[in-house]
Amino acid sequence: MAKITLVDGINMALGRALADDPDVVLIGEDIGINGGVFRATAGLQQKFGTLRVQDTPLAEGLIAGMAVGMAAQGMKVVAEIQFMGFLYPALDQVANHMARLRNRTRGRITCPVVIRMPHGGGIHAPEHHSESLEVLFCHHAGLRVVCPSTPARAYGLLLAAIREPDPVIFLEPTRLYRMAKQDVSDDGKALPLDQAFVMRAGDDVTIVTWGAMTYETLQAAEQLGQEGINAEVIDLTSLSPIDHDTILDSVAHTGRLVIVHEAARNAGLGAEIAATVAEKALYDLLAPIERVTGYDTVMPYFALERAYIPTVARIVEGVRRTLQG
Amino acid sequence: MTRFTLPDLGEGLQEAEIVRWHVAVGDQVKVDQPMVAMETAKAIVEVPSPFDGVIVALHGKPGDTVGTGAPLVDFSLAATAATATTDPGIARGGVVGRMPESDTVIQNAPQANARTATRRTRAVPAARELARRLNIDLDAIRGSGRDALVTLDDVLGASPAAPAAAKPHIPVATSSMRPAMEGTESGEIEILRSLRRAMAQSMTLARDNVMECTVFDDADIEGWSAQGDYTVRLLRAIGAGCRAEPGLNAWFDGSTQGRRLFHHIQVGIAVDTRDGLLVPVIRDVGNRDAAALRAEVNRLKAGARDRTLPATDLRDFTIMLSNFGVMAGRYATPVVVPPSVAILGAGRISRDVVAVDNRIEAHRRIPLSLSFDHRCVTGGEAVRFLAGVIGDLQLPA
Repeated sequence: MAKITLVDGINMALGRALADDPDVVLIGEDIGINGGVFRATAGLQQKFGTLRVQDTPLAEGLIAGMAVGMAAQGMKVVAEIQFMGFLYPALDQVANHMARLRNRTRGRITCPVVIRMPHGGGIHAPEHHSESLEVLFCHHAGLRVVCPSTPARAYGLLLAAIREPDPVIFLEPTRLYRMAKQDVSDDGKALPLDQAFVMRAGDDVTIVTWGAMTYETLQAAEQLGQEGINAEVIDLTSLSPIDHDTILDSVAHTGRLVIVHEAARNAGLGAEIAATVAEKALYDLLAPIERVTGYDTVMPYFALERAYIPTVARIVEGVRRTLQG
Repeated sequence: MTRFTLPDLGEGLQEAEIVRWHVAVGDQVKVDQPMVAMETAKAIVEVPSPFDGVIVALHGKPGDTVGTGAPLVDFSLAATAATATTDPGIARGGVVGRMPESDTVIQNAPQANARTATRRTRAVPAARELARRLNIDLDAIRGSGRDALVTLDDVLGASPAAPAAAKPHIPVATSSMRPAMEGTESGEIEILRSLRRAMAQSMTLARDNVMECTVFDDADIEGWSAQGDYTVRLLRAIGAGCRAEPGLNAWFDGSTQGRRLFHHIQVGIAVDTRDGLLVPVIRDVGNRDAAALRAEVNRLKAGARDRTLPATDLRDFTIMLSNFGVMAGRYATPVVVPPSVAILGAGRISRDVVAVDNRIEAHRRIPLSLSFDHRCVTGGEAVRFLAGVIGDLQLPA
């Protein structure tokens, strides 16, 4: 086993999928010769050739449309959108065709596409490079949305996503790309696509988060732990479908729920989680549900991005509010 | 000397402009220490040092454009030799912005923290809140709802029972038989909030349980010999009403159809406070003289205003008086608070035009509104009571 970063895990999974399955094709901007802006595809074109790893023009609508067409003809396409803010031209193809192909053909044709893209800010990038737009995809039937937060999960879930017959939106937490390392063996084993992971068990409060916010959330949990407040931290991982059972089980135990996400609060995924807990577990709650989120404004330029992204202090404060209630 | 060339700072850009140097020739630098801020077409990027060493030369000054691959910094390396990754361009420079990096290792083993096995009481949120405000331990309540869910009624039913001596015996004690203002003896701010909340709950109880009927009349007090003590006269009149018709000085439990008449008259007086309705109780109204009643009214009103009344002064009234007309309002439909069955409302005294024999005169009159629970009080009983009240009020003294 090698100690690798999250972006290494993605590279390893892509290499494994290309080697194992001749139908797998990678497409995207600068993914070939350049190896991708984050080096997620580094070395893959050199190893598997230009037919398997294809550079595309700077046209996201084309990338998504190509993916639909190739998938309909039996290929398994892994497309990279360079930054999440660039996805909008692709949304028509994703929402109107990719997500609907199975339904439109009454199950005769599926659409095995993975769209990979960086998710979230925190790397001092310019406009359109730091968005957290997961709800755009979660709202569409026919799409799975996944967001791993560790190298091992990036590897296992990307393999699962590529093997999945239906389209998967694969969100890669940008600021975790090289944040930490983990022992990951290139064993070709996939992880389940629809499960949340309990990262830390606790009795006093449940914190649900995903993507890069797991980093600050675990720090907050450690800080609270030193005061004797034991937080249970759930990495949602699968953003659509949501593994509500894991959340409800935890809330039944702790009685308190804090949802942390980097995306804006208004109509964010936290609202969906809060609504479901209110529907199914209201009588288990000891305090109102708390959300710690980004703000309802444009993700700011890099000088202010740290003011936007929830901090450890804001998460701790959110937990304290539920403990008062 | 080791030369460091400008790496691709993002997405295949060809060049970048020097914004400012953070180091100077001769500086000792460490790996990852920021050396220079470079502006690309996309962003300002901090370029860190790939080496431990001493700066020998800086290629360019702020404002200069440097091509990707062109010399940027020359180093004299420390004796320990280069620690840079073999390709700094790939490892560090070739992304947009600044990537956080660390050698932190995530453990694959599951976290050692474990849950302790506890099963908490499930409760309706409003019940949980009420229990908190009344200082009742929710876990000690046996929930009556589905899957032992604790309901509002369960919490009300669990509110602390009064000492037996202070409380008249009730055939069947249910939540609906409970005077509404228990647990308000403290002067804490939280209790003030709960006053208004308790009012809402007792009013809801009343709405859901009482079949209320209200009758209106006036007492002509033109004949009062002196100014007269308005509140004390009203209390005395209630005593007279109860003598005329004992059926209104009673408690009623609808669930058992049980009615209990009381020998002593305990009048709850509605006192308006900033935090809500308080109902202190004047004991044994029928057997006290005017001076004693006045002293007791003064004590209770003062205590109600500064919230110093003990719980014993706030429960177990058998009939209520609402003297609401101090500022405005002639008639009202006062709400009967279970388990009591009657409430007398007194409005603002005014000079009314009345017919006396065949003449017209202006007399001072008290407008009266008597609400009663028609489930156990008949209309005839109510007006007999009201006639007794009016008859006593119209006495000169």
